[in-house]
Amino acid sequence: MQVRIGLTGPFPRSEALVAATRDLDRGRATAESVEELFARTESEVVALEQRLGFDAVTGGYLRWPDLFRPFAETWEGFTVGPLTRWFETNTFYRQPILHAPPVRVAGAIAARLPPSILAAPERAAVILPGPYTFAGLLENRSGETEEALVHRLGRLLAEETKELAARGVTTFQFTEPLLVDRPPERSLAEAVVTAYRSIHAAAGGAATLVWTYGADANLAFPLLDRLPVSAVGVDLAETDWESIPAFPERRGLGLGIVDPRTTLVEEAGDVLRIVRGLKARRKISELWLGPGGSLDLLPWEPATRKLHVLPAARQALARDDRGGS
Amino acid sequence: MTRELFPAQEIGSLMKPRWQILAQHGDPLDEKALGEFRRANDRTHFADGAAGTPELLAGRSRELGAEAVRDLGALFALRLFENAGLARVYDGEARRIEMYEYPIRQMRGFQFQGHVRSFDHKYYLKAAVTDEVHLERPYHVEEFDFVRRHARAEPKLPITGPYTLADWSYNEHYLARQPGWKGPRARRTAQREFVVDLAKRAIRPTLAALIEHGCRVIQIDEPAAGTHPDEADLVVEGFNAATEGLDAEFSMHICYSEYRDLLPALLEAKRCRQWAWEFANRDRDGRDGYEVLKALAEYGDTREVGLGVVDVHRDEVEPPELVADRIRRAAKYLGDPARLWVNPDCGLRTRSIDVATRKLESTVHGAALARAEFQNPRA
Repeated sequence: MQVRIGLTGPFPRSEALVAATRDLDRGRATAESVEELFARTESEVVALEQRLGFDAVTGGYLRWPDLFRPFAETWEGFTVGPLTRWFETNTFYRQPILHAPPVRVAGAIAARLPPSILAAPERAAVILPGPYTFAGLLENRSGETEEALVHRLGRLLAEETKELAARGVTTFQFTEPLLVDRPPERSLAEAVVTAYRSIHAAAGGAATLVWTYGADANLAFPLLDRLPVSAVGVDLAETDWESIPAFPERRGLGLGIVDPRTTLVEEAGDVLRIVRGLKARRKISELWLGPGGSLDLLPWEPATRKLHVLPAARQALARDDRGGS
Repeated sequence: MTRELFPAQEIGSLMKPRWQILAQHGDPLDEKALGEFRRANDRTHFADGAAGTPELLAGRSRELGAEAVRDLGALFALRLFENAGLARVYDGEARRIEMYEYPIRQMRGFQFQGHVRSFDHKYYLKAAVTDEVHLERPYHVEEFDFVRRHARAEPKLPITGPYTLADWSYNEHYLARQPGWKGPRARRTAQREFVVDLAKRAIRPTLAALIEHGCRVIQIDEPAAGTHPDEADLVVEGFNAATEGLDAEFSMHICYSEYRDLLPALLEAKRCRQWAWEFANRDRDGRDGYEVLKALAEYGDTREVGLGVVDVHRDEVEPPELVADRIRRAAKYLGDPARLWVNPDCGLRTRSIDVATRKLESTVHGAALARAEFQNPRA
């Protein structure tokens, strides 16, 4: 069984970045000095990801204010709307308002990605909003139905994937908390499957991952199993793992084993027991391990501390595969 | 006691005036701050005869000391509320900078972990509970004593509730006690233990001390209640444990939530006499923000309602006629006008002092307009 580990969302800003960005807002720091600190801190995140043996690095997406802002600010058809609560958290995003069918602007998202990861794209994981979550959380004044919007965003994200894959990126994650918070039904569910078909086709040989979190994924599995992607990830702090149903052998399974809602560090032994339990029921050819949700629900230091369970769990699983204890 | 219909009350914090911020740092007041101070005093005479006023006006803030400045800040807010015509007042939380860090720092068992981004470049400090909760000493007591000594209207104290303190912290200690993988069931059990421990070990002793000091009206703030609607029973369990065996007039303030999602679980809060909720914010663009009150009537709940009649996130001051219309609608939905208090949706700290004052005055004038139309059935 191949085990891949890595980040599945933004990493927290360091305390130095917190202070610097606050100072920027208060006019006590220059944009240049803060930009320099962003670049330095991104390098630190990349170094941490490499030190922990992550299969692909992200740079932490420290500059992104939220999952949608780079799109709402650069793609045509959008304006940036009001502060809105991000699921059941004490954090907020600015809701994109879509006034007309969206139009992708080539190169715009690449320009917002951490430069350090595009310097070595074959080792980069690009994290993008999933079409269903994007369509469901924006304010739609475009006149398009939600189904049509999911289709359209799927096509645009596929173009984005194609552009980045052409630059050498080998791993794409689509963040889809809404898929488990409010699982789509009937025609909307079909639109989601179609959107991921577009994305999968555009990715070429790159790995595509749909990552869900924030709610029990078990109700959404009938749909998750149909998505033509390399793997689907579920949040194990919210999902009763003993109820995870059958999943096709061809597809990898992602387990969110780092809970960003607590500073308590997870134990590799517990992960091993869960994976053994799952393997007793189903063959797992590829396992992805990562944080269950956005790690930026934690401050920098505890987030860093908690990530160490990922290589530890991989090691424990490898030993177990070899028949060791 | 028989009250007139639609009495007005404060609900949360006020923006700290510029002169208070400068003086707390020991800086002399600049012309702008001096002007604001003088104009406010001309209006309410809050500083007449108050200790420290001469030093402040003479540019000797450092000599005065931060605590004396906060005293003046508290007097400023008290008189502002009273001057606007509120029947229940507090000090505008003049001594507090926020509602989480201060209470947590009065307890043992917590370790601050660092900053978490709320949005953009805005952050908040967050602690983890790493041991059993122990209260160092009851808090807000000196603050209340000052208000009690100086208030001319009835004092009402706001305090952060146990559910919100738990929800805004990382649960480490109670989660670690759960065996094996910390899945949904373990997390819920651990959160219940945390909320109840906070309520029993920290909030209840604090409330008891406040009551012993003469505090009769206490607002328990639970802004986190709406974040996880499926945990409404934990909000209630915390409220009940915090108020167990205590005799005071308790209210629960929740804002920016889907209240229907919290019902009927919330109705099990035994000693809660008043729901203080936000409504004005949702009463626009063709929406009737007060319709949710029908749900209380449907469940047969007969508690008082602290009715948010002005939006605290917009500068536009609601005219008294609009306030009166909101009160009329709310009274119709509840079926009993005598159960209504009126207040802003939430604390006015994001509005300028001028806008806050005008919104409070409009609240009181609107209540007077509505009052004239109703016969008090309990008079």
